[in-house]
Amino acid sequence: MFSKDIQTQVDKLLSRYPIRQNALIPILHLAQKENEGWLSEDWMQHVADICEVPLTHVEGVVTFYTMFRLKPPGKYHLQVCTCVPCCLVGGTELLEHTEKKLDIHAGHTTDDGVFSIEEMECIGACSFAPAIIVNEDYHEQVTPEEMDKMIDELRQ
Amino acid sequence: MAEETLVLFKNIRNPKYDKSLAAYKKSGGFKSLKKVFGMKPEEVVQEVKESGIRGRGGAGFPTGLKWSFMAKGTGKPSYLVANADESEPGTCKDRELMLKDPHMFLEGLMIGCYAIGCHHGYVYVRGEYFPSIKSLNAAVDELYADGLLGPDPLGSGFNLDITIHTGAGAYICGEESALLDSLEGKRGHPRVKPPFPAVSGFNGCPTSVNNVETLACMPFILGDNGVEAFKSFGPQNNSGTHLVSLSGHVNRPGVYELRMDVNMKDIIYEYGGGIRNGKKLKGVIPGGSSSPVMTADEVDVLYNFDDLAKKGTMMGSAAMMVFDEDTDVVKLLHRITRFYAHESCGQCTPCREGTHWSRQIVRDFLNGNGSDEKLQRLNRVGGNMMGTTLCALGDAAAMPIQSFVKKFPEEFRKYYATV
Amino acid sequence: MPVFHIDGEPVEYEPGEKVLSAALRCGKIIPHYCYHPGMSVVATCRMCLVDVVDLGNGRPAPKLQTACSMDAAEGMKVETLNPKVEEGRKLVNEFLLVNHPLDCPICDQSGECTLQDYAFEYGSGKSEMDYSKRVNGWRDIGTFVALERNRCIQCSRCDRFTREITGTNEFGMFNRGHELTIDTYADRPMTNKFQGNMADICPVGAITEKEFRFKRRVWKLKKNHSICTGCSTGCNVTIEHDRNEVFRLKPHENQNVNKWWLCDEGRLTYRLMNERKTRIHQPLGRVDGKLEGVSWEEAYAAIAERVADMSPLPEEVLALTDTHASNEELFLLQKLLKDVFSTDNTFCPLPKWEQSESEFFINTLITTDKTPNRAGALALKIKGDAKSAKLKKAIEAELKVVFVLGNPFEAEVEVLEKIKKAQLVVHLGTFHNSWSEIADVVLPGQYYSEKEGTFINKNQRVQATEVAVHALRRTRPEWRILADLSAALGQQSSYGSSADVFNAMTEQLKAFSGLSYAEICGVGKELRQQTKDSGMKVVKAQT
Repeated sequence: MFSKDIQTQVDKLLSRYPIRQNALIPILHLAQKENEGWLSEDWMQHVADICEVPLTHVEGVVTFYTMFRLKPPGKYHLQVCTCVPCCLVGGTELLEHTEKKLDIHAGHTTDDGVFSIEEMECIGACSFAPAIIVNEDYHEQVTPEEMDKMIDELRQ
Repeated sequence: MAEETLVLFKNIRNPKYDKSLAAYKKSGGFKSLKKVFGMKPEEVVQEVKESGIRGRGGAGFPTGLKWSFMAKGTGKPSYLVANADESEPGTCKDRELMLKDPHMFLEGLMIGCYAIGCHHGYVYVRGEYFPSIKSLNAAVDELYADGLLGPDPLGSGFNLDITIHTGAGAYICGEESALLDSLEGKRGHPRVKPPFPAVSGFNGCPTSVNNVETLACMPFILGDNGVEAFKSFGPQNNSGTHLVSLSGHVNRPGVYELRMDVNMKDIIYEYGGGIRNGKKLKGVIPGGSSSPVMTADEVDVLYNFDDLAKKGTMMGSAAMMVFDEDTDVVKLLHRITRFYAHESCGQCTPCREGTHWSRQIVRDFLNGNGSDEKLQRLNRVGGNMMGTTLCALGDAAAMPIQSFVKKFPEEFRKYYATV
Repeated sequence: MPVFHIDGEPVEYEPGEKVLSAALRCGKIIPHYCYHPGMSVVATCRMCLVDVVDLGNGRPAPKLQTACSMDAAEGMKVETLNPKVEEGRKLVNEFLLVNHPLDCPICDQSGECTLQDYAFEYGSGKSEMDYSKRVNGWRDIGTFVALERNRCIQCSRCDRFTREITGTNEFGMFNRGHELTIDTYADRPMTNKFQGNMADICPVGAITEKEFRFKRRVWKLKKNHSICTGCSTGCNVTIEHDRNEVFRLKPHENQNVNKWWLCDEGRLTYRLMNERKTRIHQPLGRVDGKLEGVSWEEAYAAIAERVADMSPLPEEVLALTDTHASNEELFLLQKLLKDVFSTDNTFCPLPKWEQSESEFFINTLITTDKTPNRAGALALKIKGDAKSAKLKKAIEAELKVVFVLGNPFEAEVEVLEKIKKAQLVVHLGTFHNSWSEIADVVLPGQYYSEKEGTFINKNQRVQATEVAVHALRRTRPEWRILADLSAALGQQSSYGSSADVFNAMTEQLKAFSGLSYAEICGVGKELRQQTKDSGMKVVKAQT
């Protein structure tokens, strides 16, 4: 199921650990990326076979960690932090602003599938708050205006 | 602005530094590792012990002592795992090291591997830290290309590998035994201790889990006269410089490298530039959200492990969150309880039920249904998580609740007092 | 053995043993949920918190410790009754009840629920929780059990069960924190053959047996220790009944046989204990081709008269028995044939059977030999072989008298046809079957739950059933029928009970020497001299 390049990465990962199961979480990340940002039952079974663990085990792991998604996110997944330090300097307001702009609540995707919002716990950019992650990129000290600008640009 | 004491940020504060292996070597990198390869592993551990360095992840446990606990002669391989799960709210310092000077940290990791006889070190990076992961992977590739990692680094004959491992979003995986479970490809459930990781850790083998910053100190400590220099940066038992993540309502939030004998007041007003918008200070959460909160009149204290412990709070991961007079303290506590409820792994009864219930009580206050009785209940429920849970997350959830209730009772009463 | 102290009393422990394990072994009660002696220690429920006032080195532990994870040490002093421990138990109990529904009035577990017991014993008695409770709902998780997730206290015993005990990994832990659920994922019902055990180990009414749902309140049930007769393993069970109706079988711990477990098939054997329609209710005699009710005296008299008329030669008499019969029944049947008819032609079916081997002990419990006393038949040297060759030879003769005990050779039509031609067929049995249809006299015996008897399991262990429910009024235990029949045919005996027969066996037979009845009724005992069973084949278990 993995594309050739990613399969090479998978094999390399498996060789870096004493037990195949140890590579489970990094391989799940690769599988999620291959499947457009989420994990289907088929992919979970495939990774379970690769790592030689029962499917129930993989399901338990996937539902434990917040980064594994069981339904597709938007093309641009906006992860807005509202934890303590960000909360102190406007993180909650930034989230509300984003929700209003896109007309969806956190945990949902826009109808055109372009944007999804996720409310985050501390993402480790506290001294540069408010901070967000868009897909894999950090954006720090984000004002509501900058958020608007970014969303409009991404829409293009 | 007040000056930093640059050890860890020595290269990072140099605007011309491009974090490449060549640049790192040029600034003196890997001299310590070469020296270490000429020492006996026990000698390395002894130096680290003498330096007095305490874990920079939050617990402040003496690192040299931790390494000396490693079980020997078990016939199993030993492992060193760097804890780069940095998820304690307020903390953003390890990422600075990983992003801007990965080689200093990696050299420290390699020194640690040699000290405990580990031939394959792992770095457990939280999954959200995409930029740090890329930075570390690039740095590790450089090391392999250079021969500093692989079968014979610096002609030592000590074959050494490093693998960068990603987490997937769980604060609890910063707890060392949960981290090991996660590294093994399982849910991040903290383990019953004993056995401790030094006896049975990664895949049942002796393991030491150390914070990124702690390891990044090793090149300095093992450098020329490093031990004495390191000890000179702070009072007895609190040696070295440390990275302070300053955030909240200050004019200049940021990560600062400071000695261990700097007054908290100075951190807020000198380094942080004082409270923004001309407001007054109301309180500080001194060491990550797990630490008991301090009121404005309590901040005249040296910012290190022991001085803060004497004041009934803790330095933890050196993440200082400053809040001003306009801050709604109850809302702040609500956000904190929400955090712990979200991050509890759910295994043990007090934390699973207590984190959620305490959040429900605080929310009740915000909804206008507070009372003296409920305030007592909040304090009781929070306190019941203290010392009864399987891991320290229960304590971490309990301390903010009890300290907020103790230090800011009138803020709660504002929500229900009609008089 | 080294010693430590709990509440001032010395407790012996094995090196490496945990405080809780040693305490429970010595009869000390420390409340707990997640600990189970057959599974790994997780220390997550926190109910077993104790105060270790001396770790064994003169210093106390800094906080309350879970007894299940604490290694016992020489000189350790543990307190379980002081105010600190009381507070600890109270708070754990409070946290568990915060999201637990008040289902006691409709919950099967009521009466044998440790949450109920501990709440009563250690709880604060009042609730301070005014918010909505977590709601997850009922799920059908398998063929044998159902899951009421609202009641779950996340002790994770069920999760560890399918991972460590059956190795089927059907259960798992999903989500985390407040949302943590432990069940099957998606719609994948369990198919393992030991689901009933999950209902046993669940401390609350989250996992319950479908078979037992809403049938009877547990405090009404009387319990008798007996053995399962569904296969040759002879797992120890408790027969739980009320007013002569059996409601369920539960495993009885026996470390030498079934440890803590019982398979679902075995649990379902309780149904036969309640079966009445197909039971033989009274002695029957064939009059003008039809079976009619007769008295015991009439039955015995008729048999004695016919035998006297026929004066059969040894080779004209034989007995057939299945291996459901107890040792006493087999012994007396053999004795009847030997003493009265001077023949040793007692036959039983001895088909080949399979014993599973597996890295998971529980998979070795179910055997393909669905009778409880094959080893007894072998020890008593009842004749038989895999293809029943010896029997087929013996029935070539002109048979005059045939005794049939139970339902042997039920599939062998040619045997049935040959026996049918015998002049006198006497059937001793509990249920109507093809033998009672062709018999001239039918004598009603009793089922396992109604009588005492000893049985030998696949590992040569002698165990006994115990009388649990009243037998049908006009039936008698087979040992007594055989003794009375022998007497009617001229061979008196003085057995007063099944135990008397067993004791006679220990005196007369080398194979049974040295056994005491009391010991058999407890944990059972292995035969000193064991007969090799060439019909057993060891196969790898399929999970």
